[in-house]
Amino acid sequence: MLHLRLTPITRLFGTALIALSLAACAGANKKKQYAGSEDGDFVSGSSLPERQEGVSFLSGNVDRQSVSPVYFAFDSYEVEPGEAYKLDAVVRKLQGGSGQLIIAGFTDERGTWEYNRGLGERRAQAVRAHLLSLGADGSRIQTTSFGADMPADPASNEAAWAKNRRAEFGFTP
Amino acid sequence: MLRKILLALTLLSLPVLPPVAQVRAETPTITVSKSDSIALALTPISGSEGELVTSVLRNDLSLAGYFNLVSGGQPGLTVSGSDSGGVTSGRVTDFSGGTVLQRQYRGDARQRAHAFARDIIETLTGNPGLPGSRIAFVATRTGRKEIYTADYDGSNVRQLTHDGNISVAPALSADGRRLAYTGYLKGYADIYTIELGSGARRRVVKFPGTNSGATWSPDGSRLACTVSRDGNPELYIVSASGSGAQRLTHTSGVESSPSWSPDGQEIVYAADNGGAPRLYRISANGGRPRPVASGYRFTTEPDWSPDGKKIAFNLREGGGFRVAVHDLASGQTQTLSSAGSNAQNPVWGPDSRHLLFTDGPNLVMIDSRTGRRTTILDGLGAISEPAWSR
Repeated sequence: MLHLRLTPITRLFGTALIALSLAACAGANKKKQYAGSEDGDFVSGSSLPERQEGVSFLSGNVDRQSVSPVYFAFDSYEVEPGEAYKLDAVVRKLQGGSGQLIIAGFTDERGTWEYNRGLGERRAQAVRAHLLSLGADGSRIQTTSFGADMPADPASNEAAWAKNRRAEFGFTP
Repeated sequence: MLRKILLALTLLSLPVLPPVAQVRAETPTITVSKSDSIALALTPISGSEGELVTSVLRNDLSLAGYFNLVSGGQPGLTVSGSDSGGVTSGRVTDFSGGTVLQRQYRGDARQRAHAFARDIIETLTGNPGLPGSRIAFVATRTGRKEIYTADYDGSNVRQLTHDGNISVAPALSADGRRLAYTGYLKGYADIYTIELGSGARRRVVKFPGTNSGATWSPDGSRLACTVSRDGNPELYIVSASGSGAQRLTHTSGVESSPSWSPDGQEIVYAADNGGAPRLYRISANGGRPRPVASGYRFTTEPDWSPDGKKIAFNLREGGGFRVAVHDLASGQTQTLSSAGSNAQNPVWGPDSRHLLFTDGPNLVMIDSRTGRRTTILDGLGAISEPAWSR
């Protein structure tokens, strides 16, 4: 059994250790905030760049299949830790090409129409903010929202709703 | 019986208005308390289109909620008229046979009937009438979401957009002459305006990101809407041509569904600030938003009544939505139980008494005073997001 004598120097060392751990935790929280959680004094996110003319998420020459959608919890626009790993592939693909990325946000049907358009957009923008924190170039990333329209699964059950709460990725040529 | 005597005494004590071509009452000639309805006899309008005019008139007067339509031939308020050569001459006489209203109406048969009904309502109750107002909504009849317009009673349904895309969130200017909507023709949600007379359409709000939820200021000069160009969906005001964009809100949440106060000074909207969406009001010049204490947790799609006194909105309850009305003076909120548990997007009519909303796929009107429901439209696929002019 190790007995630590709490001499002043030990106390100081212990306090420093605790302070450093707390700072590390705070650092992790800051990262969570960046991914779209709430803070009370928000002034502005990162402005969107001008749209690319003549191409949009549903255009025929946009690649929407390469990367899996990111899925969201009910009523939430936070990028969940379990989904965030998908964004590494998004960054790599974006950096490997010269086009833009369009993130399209969607919701399930359990909200009113106009609120859902806003929620879908907020999801797309949360993903975009997360991509920026991973070093992606914000001037090449657009967002759009279809709200509860264009569901991945038109059924009215939990499984379908979970598939509909998503952000999809479209890479322009 | 007592009620009839009291009504007769009230009528006798009022000055009889002289028969003039136009009668506009500044104050009610009959005072109606909330629970009373006015006994009104509707005698059939004679003449070529008389049958159609009478039928539209009867429906308007019934929907208005103020009247108890009785059979004629007894002393009391009586509506009568004749129809000839595209002109309806309409008259309302009172207990003593004196003329309360006498006027001529032009336009097509439905327009004439609506104009006459509106005058009857306004003359006898002092309140604005619904007849003559126009509605717009989204319907999936064609397999795609398109914008449609109609008369407030569900007649004259016309498909306005033929975008073959997603056309949603319609809003009518107060005068019913212009419509704003959200379209995806460029693959992004942008706000378009349409001059309904000419059909001319312009894409007016087209910032990067999503632009949606446009509603007209009461004087028709500006639009409030949601714009996400800053990296977040925020409330904006722009001119009706899309210029002079002014950002009103600064939160990291979703701002949506702005609705103007009737004096154009304030906007009520829904914002979620990381939690469930709640209602807020903000000056149209910007500044600090103030919560509207509705008493409910998930509240969206607010609509400010034309008389400025109430805000109708949706609240989510269980798996569905209810319509509720918040009274600004008293701070009380009441849910409209006869609207059911699947009711979405309530919008006020010009009388600040009736609301339109969708119940499942159908468009329904409700009298917020009596709870009486009337299905206005069905059979158009799924109807959503109604709008109503003044």
